[in-house]
Amino acid sequence: MRLPTLLSPRSDTPISFWQTSVARWTRALLALAGIALLTGCDLKWWQMDGHQSTLVTEGPVAHSQAQLFYVTCWVTAVIFVLVGSVLAYATFKFRAKTDADEHAEPPAQSHGNPLVEIGLIAVSVIALVIIAIPTLHAIIFTHDVPAERKADAYTINATGVQWWFRFEYPAEQISGAGSLVTSNELVIPAGRPVRINIRTLDVIHSFWVPKLGGKVDMIPNRANFLWLEAEKPGYFWGQCAEYCGDSHAVMRFRVIALGPKDFNDWLDKQLQPARTVTAQTAGTAAPKAQFASLRKFKQNETGITAKYDVNPLAAWQELQKPDANEDAALIARGRQLFTEKTCSACHAIRGHMPGGSPAYPDLTHIGSRSTIAAGLLENNAEQLQRWLRDPGAVKPGNKMWVDGYVKNNIKLTEADEIALVAYLQSLK
Amino acid sequence: MELAKSDFIPKDEAAAQKRKVLWTPTAKSGLVMWLTTVDHKKIGFLYGFFALIFFLIGGVEALLIRAQLAFPNSSVLTAQQYNEMFTMHGTTMIFLAVMPLSSAFFNFIMPLQIGARDVAFPRLNAFSLWTFVAGAVILNIGWFIHAGPPDAGWFGYAPLTSKQFTPDHSTDFWVMGLQLLGVASIAASLNFIVTIINMRAPGMTMMRLPVFVWMTLFTSFLIILSFPAITIALVEVMMDRNFGTGFFEVSLGGMPILWQHLFWVFGHPEVYILILPAMGIISEILPCFSRKPLFGYPIVVFSGASIGFLGFAVWSHHMFTTGMGTVATAAFALATMAIAVPTGVKIFNWIGTLWGGHLKMRTPMMFALGFIWMFMIGGLSGVMHSAAPADAQQQDSYFVIAHFHYVLIGGSIFALLAGIHYWFPLMFGRKIAEFWGKLSFWVVFAGFNITFFPMHFLGLNGMPRRTFTYDPNLGWNSANLIASVGAGILGIGIFIYFAVMVYTYFKGERVGKDYWDARTLEWSLPNPPPEYNFAVIPTVHARDAYWYEKHHQEEIAKEKAEHAKAEESHGGIHMPNASIWPFVTSMGLLLGAWGVSGVTADPSPGIHAKLAICLAGGAIMILGIYLWSLEGNEGYHIHLDENGNIKEDDHGHGAGSAKH
Repeated sequence: MRLPTLLSPRSDTPISFWQTSVARWTRALLALAGIALLTGCDLKWWQMDGHQSTLVTEGPVAHSQAQLFYVTCWVTAVIFVLVGSVLAYATFKFRAKTDADEHAEPPAQSHGNPLVEIGLIAVSVIALVIIAIPTLHAIIFTHDVPAERKADAYTINATGVQWWFRFEYPAEQISGAGSLVTSNELVIPAGRPVRINIRTLDVIHSFWVPKLGGKVDMIPNRANFLWLEAEKPGYFWGQCAEYCGDSHAVMRFRVIALGPKDFNDWLDKQLQPARTVTAQTAGTAAPKAQFASLRKFKQNETGITAKYDVNPLAAWQELQKPDANEDAALIARGRQLFTEKTCSACHAIRGHMPGGSPAYPDLTHIGSRSTIAAGLLENNAEQLQRWLRDPGAVKPGNKMWVDGYVKNNIKLTEADEIALVAYLQSLK
Repeated sequence: MELAKSDFIPKDEAAAQKRKVLWTPTAKSGLVMWLTTVDHKKIGFLYGFFALIFFLIGGVEALLIRAQLAFPNSSVLTAQQYNEMFTMHGTTMIFLAVMPLSSAFFNFIMPLQIGARDVAFPRLNAFSLWTFVAGAVILNIGWFIHAGPPDAGWFGYAPLTSKQFTPDHSTDFWVMGLQLLGVASIAASLNFIVTIINMRAPGMTMMRLPVFVWMTLFTSFLIILSFPAITIALVEVMMDRNFGTGFFEVSLGGMPILWQHLFWVFGHPEVYILILPAMGIISEILPCFSRKPLFGYPIVVFSGASIGFLGFAVWSHHMFTTGMGTVATAAFALATMAIAVPTGVKIFNWIGTLWGGHLKMRTPMMFALGFIWMFMIGGLSGVMHSAAPADAQQQDSYFVIAHFHYVLIGGSIFALLAGIHYWFPLMFGRKIAEFWGKLSFWVVFAGFNITFFPMHFLGLNGMPRRTFTYDPNLGWNSANLIASVGAGILGIGIFIYFAVMVYTYFKGERVGKDYWDARTLEWSLPNPPPEYNFAVIPTVHARDAYWYEKHHQEEIAKEKAEHAKAEESHGGIHMPNASIWPFVTSMGLLLGAWGVSGVTADPSPGIHAKLAICLAGGAIMILGIYLWSLEGNEGYHIHLDENGNIKEDDHGHGAGSAKH
């Protein structure tokens, strides 16, 4: 067996005892690693098909980047195998195998071979040219929407704010309110190139939806843009990719790509002011019984359930429809609390709450979004209440906690939370 | 007229008088000796000592990071603590571990390899050391006070470092700490450059320099050319934070992107500052344990120079996602590919060195071979990054973390660990037991790969870096757990390595001179080397100078005897006096830097206290420099008997005259 031979102290001490001991050590370590592996849920750590995979891609920009990756991967893999084989061969072939080898006359004191060296330099240059050509091609392709499709491109402005994303639709104007604005969930038309202007309100963030394309940084005083396209309708995970302070890790977002009709329907609904629920418009089913008391959440506890792994687009579509069992009185109470507790000082709810500020998420249609707290928690009653109760625990350092709750000494009772949740959920 | 050596030292009749005012430390042991030493070997030892302590601290920070990420949504650390950990892990490992550990070897080994008795400016060398320590103190002081340690990332991207987004002093510590480290690095580098240019032994032409010395020279040039960029950038941040300037302040029209350019103009050469010394060490170890000269010496040297040169032309590949436009992106992508050529050349030449040799598989050789394998992986994933559009997916993901840890651990750290094993018998006259050395190698090697190989997959699967938590539904769980288990194994390996090293330092087996049958001049010395290094300055006749000496013993013995007589007639071995003033100067810098970074101007303790502390620091620094310059270039002489023992040194004789 090679391993103990390599480990053996050779000419220094007797080796037989250590050989066995070393082998035992190695086995113990392997067993330990094996146990650690088995305690993880699945063993396929090498699979790269997650929601943020850069290799299982769903649009032309990401395809181009993934293909370029495979080119670099193959070229470097071939180099590695070739050079590695020579290195391994040299190591084993020229190894001093016995004590006598070590004390033999030194080998020929040769100094090099210019021909071999120049040849290897030439080969390296060729390998790099193989990578350089597709690289240059992809740099141009991924930079901006191809000229022939420019006319078809849909423009959106994305702005990073500590620690959430604001999306603005300059093509959709609302009289008296400017462009249509939404937060943390970017809805785009599928099958159309989308050109996104990349901005920031404070520090540097980065806009990244791996399945649709690589990232571009949101830098102050810099007019960046990117383009991407979702080939088919779908639900995509995105995340801030530049360290931006306390809650960088939980600054996430989603992209929802819809077919032409669905997209237009969605736009029509978003252009409406916030939905108002009265006794007449409330659902036909009986209002829900009182909520059970909110359970205690562990720090950083996961806020997403499995339905977003199975069919997130369907789950999202489900959320576009109003609840069948809305409680009009509770919702009215929530709407009143929204002003009383000074939520409306920061958050705009078009049609209900005047004011608000572009530095804080617009909540006009928050009930129709699949996540809250910038893609961190699923938008359901329990998570919404968890978020309202203690935003600082969910998202360290966030502005709602620091500048809102702490500064204005906002206190919510459990009843307040339930009313606010009902109100926010009604804003479909 | 015969030009005697002591004629180079100006005769100063007032010297004896000055000596009464100024204290000339003569301690040979104890704290005073360590604080006042100007011996490059002792300074090198201290660099290594501090570097290894910070290496362990940085390692603990890394283990805490991996503990937090072992499972999704865990809460070992808070977000704030996690951000402090990765900021300090990066800053510590780069500036306080790898750089000073390289510096330890520059100090200890380089003068011995060129046949010199010390560096060109021994007191400046002490100043570099203590300023490095001062910078390390400022950087880490946040752990012990309310402000907390820096948390804006080792790269400190503006405007996150502005007063608005990090109002506490943590960022000030980071700014001033790095500033002091820059002063230390530049002073040390100038010293090394002058030493290598001017203090080579007779016959040690540039093209006979050991490759490690070449790499020291290139690294030093990289440091003096690249550090000014970050010095300027840090001054600008300091001005923005303290005096309301608008270099990066967006509301005043500042340009945060400017920081990135300045930072990476420093930051990319910094990568080569970390790896070139490692390449130098490897280029020493491979020939020694292959028992044949380095393959293609001139090409290895010139590729080192091209890497250093091109290293200044690729900084924006750290910024492929900042929207540079097609032309700049293409230019930096191609330049980055170009730098792969000289890097590849080195790997080919190392393999060429093995080819046809008699490879002795000792621990340093194991680490060196491990280095080649790991550096190859890190280098090739670097080539992948040069394809800018693919990099748009990889940038700031775990793929990058995997890449640069393969270069910095598999590269730099493996080489430095190899270097410690290799030079340990020379430095301390003891050898590390082969079994324990090899065991630590295999555990480190396994732990390292288990930790970082899965990170390639994590990155391609979309996991961004610098995130304190992640959701369990993204397919990242197993790879993260494996990486954390691997980090534990790596930690055990490093622990074994250190435990064995410390044990060997006190109790290891003693060995004689030239333990490895090596090739370069440092091995011609008894171990540990005497304070004057060479009893007789060697004359160099060939590239592997000591190998030549060993194979031409008669010729060399005759030559040495002649030169010994000549030196004695010139007044013996001239040694520099120890001095406390470099230490005092550094402590002045420390106090001033504390005043700038750690004292609040408003409200309490107030602007006057801040000013007073800054001025006091400045005054101590100037006083230190003044007294240092008053000392002049005095020294003492050592006379040896035929056996190389010190017959007499005129140090303790009181007169202190350098003249005979």
